[in-house]
Parts: sequence; C-alpha cells; structure tokens
Amino acid sequence: MDPMIVTKEAGATTMPLGMTVAEPSCQMIGAELMTFADDVRGNSIFLANLVSAFSAHERCGLHLYRTAAGMTQIEEWRAKYEEFGAQTAEHVRILAELTTQLGGDPMYVSPQARMTEFCDSKLMEAILLAGSVDTMTMELTTLEAVFLAEQKCHANWELLKTLASQMTDSPARRAIEHAVSEVEGQEDEHVRWAQQTLKQTIMALVGVGLAAGGGGEVS
Amino acid sequence: MAFNPLTEKGIPIDKQLRNWSELSVQPYDKDEVDPYTRCRVIAMNGIEVESIMFSHQFARHTDNPDIKRMLAMTRRVEQQQQKAVSGLVPGDETTLEHTIAYEQVAVDLTAFLARNEPDPYLKQTLDFALLEDFDHLYRYANLLDLIEGKKADRITKGLTEIMPGRPTVDEHRHPYDEIRGHYEKHTVDPLSRCHVMTITAAEQQTMNFYMNIGNRYIEPIARSLYQEIAMIEEQHVTQYESLLDPLETWFQQEVFHQYNECYMYYSFMTEESDPRIKAIWELHLGQEIEQLRLACEMMHRYEGVEAEEILPQSLPEPTRFQENKGYVREVLASQIDLRTVGTQFVPLDQLPKDALYFSYQQQVNGGGLVPSEDVIKEHVRAQGGDYRHETEGPHPVKQMEQAATQKR
Repeated sequence: MDPMIVTKEAGATTMPLGMTVAEPSCQMIGAELMTFADDVRGNSIFLANLVSAFSAHERCGLHLYRTAAGMTQIEEWRAKYEEFGAQTAEHVRILAELTTQLGGDPMYVSPQARMTEFCDSKLMEAILLAGSVDTMTMELTTLEAVFLAEQKCHANWELLKTLASQMTDSPARRAIEHAVSEVEGQEDEHVRWAQQTLKQTIMALVGVGLAAGGGGEVS
Repeated sequence: MAFNPLTEKGIPIDKQLRNWSELSVQPYDKDEVDPYTRCRVIAMNGIEVESIMFSHQFARHTDNPDIKRMLAMTRRVEQQQQKAVSGLVPGDETTLEHTIAYEQVAVDLTAFLARNEPDPYLKQTLDFALLEDFDHLYRYANLLDLIEGKKADRITKGLTEIMPGRPTVDEHRHPYDEIRGHYEKHTVDPLSRCHVMTITAAEQQTMNFYMNIGNRYIEPIARSLYQEIAMIEEQHVTQYESLLDPLETWFQQEVFHQYNECYMYYSFMTEESDPRIKAIWELHLGQEIEQLRLACEMMHRYEGVEAEEILPQSLPEPTRFQENKGYVREVLASQIDLRTVGTQFVPLDQLPKDALYFSYQQQVNGGGLVPSEDVIKEHVRAQGGDYRHETEGPHPVKQMEQAATQKR
C-alpha cells in the first residue's frame, strides 16, 4: 500500500453521503468506524472521518509543495519547498500508520476528506490566473497558499495532541503522541518559515527593512 | 495484452497537424458499411466534440498563457480528428437514416456499458436510459418509413431490434428528477469513469445533433418528433453528467478526457473490420497518447499530481459494439415501468401522487399533440400497423406486442 495514492486499485473506500455513490465493495459504513480509536470513548465515526480529512490535507500539501518547487524561480524557496515536501510525504506515511494503529483504514476517504481536498485544490487554482499578474505576485500567491495550508496542517496536529492529552493512558493515546512527536517540530518549522518569508518578502517589496530576528513575530 | 498509454510512444504534437488533402477522407458506402463501423464513427465524433468543448470551457477559466497555448494546440488537433471522423459520413445518407444510426449507437453502446459496469447504481442509470433510446429508435424508424419509404433494418442490418421501449411520451420528467448521484473519484473503477465519460459524450452529441438538424425537415411530424426526442436527450445529458465527480479538478478532467479518448480509439482499433477506418483509429490513438502525455505533464506542473497517482496501470477491457438483443429484452421485461424521484429509480406504481413527474407530464403532454405517439398513429393509419423489426420473437412486454399508442 502506497499511502500517497488513493484509488480503487490501491484499496480506496468511502462513505457514500448525499450525492456520492460507490460500489458496495468500496463502501465504508458507519458501523465499521465504530471501533476507531475506541480508547477515546467518544465519537469514533467523527474522529475517523476527521483523521481521514487530515490525511487528505497532508496529501494535498505534498502536491502543493511539488507544484511550488516546480514553479518558483527563487532557488532558496525551491530548496525549502523540496525539503518540506519530502517531510510532508513522510507525514502522510506517519498518518497512515497512525490510522492503522487506531484501527482505521488509511485508504478510507471520508466526506470530510473530500471537502478538505476540494478546498485545498482551490488554493492551487490560483495558477489559472497567472497570466494577469507579475512574477512576484505569483511567487507570493504560491507562498501564501503554502502558509495557509501549513497553518491548517499545524492546527490539525495540534488537535491530535490536545486529543491525546485528554485521553487516559492507552495504546491509542501513545500512538497519537508518538505520531505527533515525530512531526510537530517540522510542522512548527513549516509555518514559521512560510510566515517569516512571506513577511520579509513583503516588507522588502514595500521598501521597509526588518530588524534582525524580527521576521517571525506577528502582531 | 495490457495496453498502458502512459508507457507508449505517441506522435509528437508538432507532427499531428494534417493538410486539407489528408483531412479529406473517403466516406463509407452507406449500403455496404458494417452498421457497427458506422456506430463507431458516430461515437468517436461525439467523443471528439466533447473533448473540444471541454477544452474551450477550460480555456475560458484561465488566463495562464502556457495553459491556454497547450489547450489551443491540442484542441486544434482534436478539431482535425473530429473533421476526419465526421467526414466518414457520406452525403447521401439522409438525416433520418443517420438518425437511425445515432439511436443504434445509443442502444448498443448503452447496453454494452451497462452489461460491463461494475457499479450497480451506474448500471441502473444506464439501464434506465437504455429503454428510452430504444424507444427513440422505434419512433424514428416509423418516421423514416412514413416520409422516406425506407425500412430502418436496412441500416441496422438486424443487429439491433426495433420495437417499442419505454414510450417516449412517458419519458418526460421534471428536471429535478433527472439529477443522479455521482461516483467518488478515489473509489471509482477506471472502467466506470470511462463509461460515464463515453456515454455523456455520446448522449451530448445526440442532443446537439437533434438540436441542430430537427429543423431540416418540412413535414411537421418530423420537425415535432425531433423536438420531442431532443428534449429527452437534454434529460439524458443532465442525467449522465450528474454521474461525474465535481471533485475532479480542471487538470484532472483534461487528463481523463485524453485518457478516455485513448481508451476508445484503442477499443475501436482492436475491433474495427474496415481496414481503412481501422487505420484512422490507429493514427488517432497515436495522437491521443501524446495529448495524454501533455495533459499529464500539465497536471504534474500545476497540481503536483503524477499521472500514475490517478490512472490505472493499463487500459480497462475494451468497449465493443456488438448485439445486445437478449440483454435489452431482459431490461425491457423488468424495467419498462421505472420512473425517477430525485436521484432514485422508482416503479411507476410507487410514485407518490404529488410526484413532480405527474405535473410535468401534464404540462408538456397536455396540449393534445404528442409527436412520438402521433408518428405511430400515422403509420398505423397509413400502413395498417406500426413498423418493427423483431428478430427474437414477440415483444417481451405483453401489452406492447401490438401497436397500441397510449390513451391519454
């Protein structure tokens, strides 16, 4: 199983809701999600759907980094996009592993995951309007997309961390804590770099210099 | 042997343009052509038209010059492909004769797709419209006999039966009841996606054809029959396009269009009996492989998605034109009275009394004129019965064994 690819061939499942239909063999029913992370003793179905959405966001992040690395003309940014993209691919794998440890299916695409993918794809659609902006505006738009995506990504992992902190000691709690510990440093760095780079670049374009060390502060 | 267009070498895009001589193809002989060769020509014409119109829509949603240029280049070749395919239709094939062939496409393509469709809901959707196109063939066949004095089985050559399906008069449904659920882009079988794209393109082509040629006849019965059936084709396009997952992005849709063209040209190339036309399918497959590569390159560049992440490792089993008489009879016998409520298929006797179906029926059929009924009545009056071509015995639905136009 390659967690980067979610297709029928790879074993994808979904929960048909509203307008969505799927073959019976690809359908996930609520009862199958009832045992997801049951140590939490909460709404297992909601949590399973949420974690699936987190996975979708990580996959979209990987696609965003690939695009950004290919598009940018700023070498320093390209290096960062490639570095963070590789880390994001690893985060996809870690989330897939966590999903399995919690009793879920990493190939499950929840309705929430579909909506996450839809919203994330709109961030990337900015490229469709590239013909009427200058190069720097496009660079900043891409960086802004990274910043927004990373903020959500960061918030997702924070949520998992908070969730674990509310749980009694259990295999599920330890699995979540382990996953969070593997990624949180990198997630902090992704947001920090995107925010600081965006800020510094805009200030430079405006013609106002930043004091050394001040780039990461947001008022 | 598995065929993967992603690993095949196509014709470079700058080598794909043809001059006018190359585009000026020899039409088929309408009396000699294999009916299913003609069906393939009609189907591929529709698929090219859809590809072109999608590309235009995509181009209208971007000002990125690189994307616009790539779309314009590919689209120009698609236009040439469409001209070459469309040019195979001879000028001495009358509009009604060609219409009979359109409906033969609709019947045997839909039936084949339904028989091979893995998703039960998509299969049901195909079965549902199958019976309606089957009825259109019957109505047009009677019109052909009435105004041109020609038997439609000379065109279909007995490969497709001609008899009533779900009566066209009963097919008029409220627009809300034409919406269907859609497949999910991650879980959909690649074959299902190809089925949906193919049938949407084919029905859209039929809709466009009737929209534009319905006024080419002088006879009021012909003009009004084209109008009525064209409205059903609008319903069918509404139905089939609903099946597509809107989560698929512009770039992904472009890739899927190119992929489906590869799939259909490959399918038809492997079964084509006319060597001259087979060579056209082969040439176009070589062109589509390159167009697919370019679409995948664009998707990778602007979305970071690799082709292998969304496409299978080989083309699905080919789509074929072949006889489906037994299958059509089974569906006729079991689903003739099916209707829809919203996205669901419901037997007529289970429709709620206040169903939109009834009020819409009253609105469109309530004026006294129902061309699809009148054409049969006229045929019965003129020739003592309706025109049919039943090769496998009497109609599988007892009450349809006779030419009974509905009392309303």
